[in-house]
Amino acid sequence: MDLQSSAPASDGLGAPVVDIVGLNKWYGSFHVLHEIDLQVRKGENIVICGPSGSGKSTLIRCVNQLESHQEGTITVNGRELSQQVPRLHELRRDIGMVFQHFNLFPHLSVLRNCTLALTRARGLSRGEANDIARHYLARVRIPEQQDKYPGQLSGGQQQRVAIARALCMNPKVMLFDEPTSALDPEMIKEVLDVMSDLAREGMTMLCVTHEMGFARSVADRVVFMDGGHIVEEAPPEQFFANPQHARSRQFLSQLL
Amino acid sequence: MKFDPAFLWSVTPVILTGLWTTLWIAVLSSIGATVLGFIFELLRRSNRVMGFVMRGLIDVIRSTPVLVQLYFLFFVLPYVGITLPAVVAGVLGLSLYYSGYLAEVFKGGIDSLDTGQFEAGKALGLARHDVVWFIVAPQMLRNVAAPMGNYFVSALKATPYLAVISVPEMLGIALELGSNSFRYAEPMVAVGIIFLILAVSISQLVRMLETRLLASSKR
Repeated sequence: MDLQSSAPASDGLGAPVVDIVGLNKWYGSFHVLHEIDLQVRKGENIVICGPSGSGKSTLIRCVNQLESHQEGTITVNGRELSQQVPRLHELRRDIGMVFQHFNLFPHLSVLRNCTLALTRARGLSRGEANDIARHYLARVRIPEQQDKYPGQLSGGQQQRVAIARALCMNPKVMLFDEPTSALDPEMIKEVLDVMSDLAREGMTMLCVTHEMGFARSVADRVVFMDGGHIVEEAPPEQFFANPQHARSRQFLSQLL
Repeated sequence: MKFDPAFLWSVTPVILTGLWTTLWIAVLSSIGATVLGFIFELLRRSNRVMGFVMRGLIDVIRSTPVLVQLYFLFFVLPYVGITLPAVVAGVLGLSLYYSGYLAEVFKGGIDSLDTGQFEAGKALGLARHDVVWFIVAPQMLRNVAAPMGNYFVSALKATPYLAVISVPEMLGIALELGSNSFRYAEPMVAVGIIFLILAVSISQLVRMLETRLLASSKR
C-alpha cells in the first residue's frame, strides 16, 4: 500500500466508507448519543476526542455493532449494520478494531492470535494465514515475537500485535478505541508510530484518543464530542488554533 | 464374628472383576456430564426463553436425589414404553445428574472471562460457534479444571448407586458376596479400599494436570 493507492480518497468524491446518519442511542432512559451524523471517506483519518462519558467510545463501538443503536443508520462499505442484519459477523470482517486493553487471546501464540480469524472466518489454510500474519507482524515491527504468548510481551508490543491481528483481515476501515490509554508513557510512542504509518499508507481510520499530538499531525478531521453530541468537527489546524465552541475551548485548555 | 484377613484376601479378586465396569461407567458418565453440562450452559446463555427453561431444568436436576433419578430412568420410564438396559440407564442417570453441577461450574468459568475476549472474537468477524470453541472453551477449561476434577471423583464414587438397578459394578458384587456368606465386613472393607485408592489417584492426576495448565497460562 502506498499513497497512490489511496488517491481516490483525496478527491473527496465517491461513497463514504463509513456513513452514520441520524444516530440515536439510549441506555435505558439515558440518551448517550444524540443525532450523530458522521461520514468517513476512503483514506481519511478521523480523530474523535472529548471528555470521558461524552459517548465517543460508544459511537465507534456502534460502527461494528458491539453496541446496538435505536435510531438512525450506520453504513459501512455500502452495507447497513444493525442487530437485525442476518450474518452480522460477516460484515464485521471488513471492520478492524483495536481495543484499549488489547484483548489478545492469552491462550494462543502471537502468530495464532493473528491467524485464527484468517483460517476460521476467511477460510485460508494455516500456511497461507501464517504468511499473511508474518507480513503484518513485520509491519508493526515485531516479527521476532511470533511464537511468544501475549503475557510475555510488554503492553506496547501487545497493542501492536492487536493492530497486526486486525490488519490481517485486510479491513476497509480500522477503529481504534483509546489504543494508548492503558499503556505506560514510554510505550505510547511505538503504538502511535505504527498508527501514523497506517494513516500515511492510506488506511481509513476512526480513532478515539486523547493523544492530541497525534490528532494534530495525522488527523484529517477532529471530531469533538460532549454529552453525546458532536459539538465541533474541523481540520486539526483549525480545531486547535481556533476552536469555535466554548466547550471545545474549555476541553483544550484543560489538556494544556 | 471375627474379621478374617484370609476372607478379605479371597473376596478382593472377585470384587475386582467389577473394576472395569465401575471405571468405564465413571469415565462415560464424566464425559456425558461434561458434554451435557456445556450444552446446557450454552443453551442457558442463548436467549431469554431458553435461559428460563434451562435454569429450571438444571435446578430440577440438582435438587432431586440421584437415586430417585436412577429409579425414574430404570423403573418409571418403562411405563411410557421406554425400556433402557440397566447400564444405559445408569450412565445416563449419572451423566444427567452431574451435568447439572458441571453447568454451574462452566457458568462460573465463562463469567470469569474478560468480556473483551468475546468482543475481540466478534470484532474479528468470527461466528458464534468459533468464538465458543476457539476462545471461550479453552480459557474456561483452565479456570474450571479443579472443580471439574472434583466432580469426576464424585461421579466415580456415585457408581455404587447403580447396584440398585442391578449393574454388576463393584458394590453390587460385594453385596452379593456378603449375602451369600453372611459376612459383610470383609467385602465392604475391600470395596472401600479399592475406591479410596481410585479416588486418591484421580485427585492426584487432576492436581498434576491443573499445575500444568496453570503453568501454561502463565506463559
